[in-house]
Amino acid sequence: MIRNRKKETRMKSVRLMLVMLLISSLLLAACSSKSEQKSTGASGKAGTSNQVVLSVEVFDRGNSPSGYTISDNYWTRWVQDNFGTPNNIKMKYVPVPRSEEVEKLNVLMASGGDVPDIVFTYDSSTFYRYAMQGGLTDLSGLVDEHAPNLKSFLGEDVLNYGKLEGKQYAIPAKRANIGKYSSFIRKDWLDKLSLPVPETTDELYTALKAFKEKDPGETGGKVIPLGMTIAPAQYEPLIWSFIKETTEEEKYTLTQQIGSRDYPVLLPGFKDALQFMNKLYNEKLMSIDFGLDKDKNKLVEDISTGKIGFFSEDDINIYYQDGSYETLQANVDGAELIAVDVYTNEKGEHPKPEYAPIGLYIMIPKSSERAVEALKYLDWMASGDVLFNMQNGIEGENYTLKDGIPLALENPSEEAKNRMYNAGDMTIITNGQQLGSPEKNREARALQFPPKYQDEVRAAMKVSNTDTIPPVLMDKPIEAQTKYGTTLLDKFHEFIVKTTTAKPEQFDTVFEGAMNDYMTSGGQAILDERIKVYNEMKAK
Amino acid sequence: MKFTRYLGRYWQLYALLLLPITYFFIFRYGPMYGIQIAFKDFNFFQGINGSKWIGLEAFREVFGMKDFYKTLRNTLMLNFLDLLVSFPAPLILAIMLYELRSAWFRKLSQTILYIPHFISWVIIGGIVYQVFGTQSGMINNVITAMGFQEIPFLTDKNTWLITYLAVGVWQSAGWGTIIYLAALTGINKELFEAAEVDGATRMRRIWHITLPGIKPTIVTLLIINLGHMISIGFERPYIIGNTMVRDYSDVLSTFVYRIGLESGQYTLATVVGLFQAVVGLIFVLGANYASKKLAGEGIL
Repeated sequence: MIRNRKKETRMKSVRLMLVMLLISSLLLAACSSKSEQKSTGASGKAGTSNQVVLSVEVFDRGNSPSGYTISDNYWTRWVQDNFGTPNNIKMKYVPVPRSEEVEKLNVLMASGGDVPDIVFTYDSSTFYRYAMQGGLTDLSGLVDEHAPNLKSFLGEDVLNYGKLEGKQYAIPAKRANIGKYSSFIRKDWLDKLSLPVPETTDELYTALKAFKEKDPGETGGKVIPLGMTIAPAQYEPLIWSFIKETTEEEKYTLTQQIGSRDYPVLLPGFKDALQFMNKLYNEKLMSIDFGLDKDKNKLVEDISTGKIGFFSEDDINIYYQDGSYETLQANVDGAELIAVDVYTNEKGEHPKPEYAPIGLYIMIPKSSERAVEALKYLDWMASGDVLFNMQNGIEGENYTLKDGIPLALENPSEEAKNRMYNAGDMTIITNGQQLGSPEKNREARALQFPPKYQDEVRAAMKVSNTDTIPPVLMDKPIEAQTKYGTTLLDKFHEFIVKTTTAKPEQFDTVFEGAMNDYMTSGGQAILDERIKVYNEMKAK
Repeated sequence: MKFTRYLGRYWQLYALLLLPITYFFIFRYGPMYGIQIAFKDFNFFQGINGSKWIGLEAFREVFGMKDFYKTLRNTLMLNFLDLLVSFPAPLILAIMLYELRSAWFRKLSQTILYIPHFISWVIIGGIVYQVFGTQSGMINNVITAMGFQEIPFLTDKNTWLITYLAVGVWQSAGWGTIIYLAALTGINKELFEAAEVDGATRMRRIWHITLPGIKPTIVTLLIINLGHMISIGFERPYIIGNTMVRDYSDVLSTFVYRIGLESGQYTLATVVGLFQAVVGLIFVLGANYASKKLAGEGIL
């Protein structure tokens, strides 16, 4: 009897096990049959037409309107119909979040097989690293053979930025507007205090002081005379205006390139710039929490709510529809910002950096088998009116032509508006409208803005193109810059923040300490290598 | 012979064990293959096997970096302070909850206390900036409105430490009570009744019954915590930290993120990771040994 029961329980458990096995095998079977279906589907298609898949990276800014996704929208379908299908290519777009493009790209590259056929980055260090580690396809011959349109569109100068030791490892995009920064001041505040529009750094200081003391915006003591952050657009115009005249040699050896920007840490005058910031900070003339604001969120908020009197920014940023200027005018009656060029150097100029004439570095990983198709895609984009169409949309729905320059419609339909949300990120071979000359490009850019701001956009762009300092281009990439770049950028921000927020009497000590920290964290290595490369350049 | 009969009888139990063992091999031992990256000049286009061996060169480089010692010091400091502040917090909270007599109030407070645990650090970061900002934070608005000097909660490194610890307690203390509350239910109720009859005060009861009753749990958690002394979560220091307090907020995990994911120097990042693992192991074994000696209890 007992034995029987034992046997029974055992039978029971065996049955249970069998059931579980069955369930799990069913689950597995379900999975495998699904993937089987998929693969036969693909091979069936391939069998009939030999269609190949071309995958392309695309920036995802998380702003897709409903009905669209970043990998399936008006322009991806348009590309498929106009380029993909006629060439027997299936286009596939691989989204990468804009704010972490380098990190995500590193992961994609490391994964080998899954990396898209076309990838890109704004970060020159990342490009150099990939090229030096042998991860990119050499495109030298392929460009000549498969991409004549692209070659003539970009031109030699631009293509040279993508060359390393004579090999074309990247296709740099062409930048339409190389101006970067302008400064802006509250004209209504100046008028209220009957102050002139400042034209020099000293006059600016007077105005800032007056803003602080008289609080013309009636902010209840919350006035921020100078809006500051630790984003380049706010600190670069200020710092560069303090840099003294430099010799050719100093320019090459003492500049420190981090990411795609030149930093004047070692150039004469850098300390004076920080001293000035320190003074402004300690007199409470600038944003107290500027060290927390690396993505400008606080700055934009404070501009929009009318707390900031003066700030520097990318020349056109505030003029967008629903941007900070429009919001400011909605919040504060009579608020008026004007573009001004105030930071002045010893020679009375208003120096500020300009962009290199390139945008993204477009790369084709070595593991890709679709290099030819990838180049055909880029070449197609540069051919005929493809680029123009992709940047402007449909005539009559998105724009009208005015003297050959497209004029964006003021009130496009919802459908037409949604169509254009990612146009800038799809046209990877260019940064901005390409209409043949810098003046035309600038005009086209102005015309993209709400009509009430177009004149001011023109004024701001005039400022951003005045007395600009071009980036220093070395003969070959500086390895130390690639290696220490990210660390040094953090160190640089720490440098600014520490020296600026130091007590005035401790400024020198803090400056020494921060400089020492910066140099030992890679600054010295960059300096040494730049001197070496410069001497090689001169010897040639 | 005996063993096969034994297996034959209990094979189902072993079959059940198979799954967790597979898990450990695939997800815990498998990735150890990657440790060799620390000894190679890793180039991700060539893969692990294609990269050259470089011996201990990467270790030399890491141990020569100033930032490494700074982040190591900060990691230990933040963890140690956390141990002082955040470790006792859930314990005290759990005892207080346990002493509550009203069941519905206890349940309600428990739920409210758990909530922060489910909020992501990114969102907590946003809240922290709104609340503790110098120029526009809620608290400083009140302080300046009352005519006092604002307090730089986020921008001065010493006050930042307090903010960091306080946010940590707020986020994790409630959730941490769960284990203690579970242990507390295991204490024999008759002990409390007997103590009450003998006239023991509430504090006496807590001291002589509650705490000894959950001593093994406390010790276990302490050992686990000590094992984590050298490793630190990424989100909390990264999100609550900022450029102005980098002297304290830069820790090993953010260091690894910066040199590994941002700069692509995977070899160096792996070296730091391996270092953390080895030191972590030493800490666990050491703490366990000490606890065996001192309290007569360990977990290993």
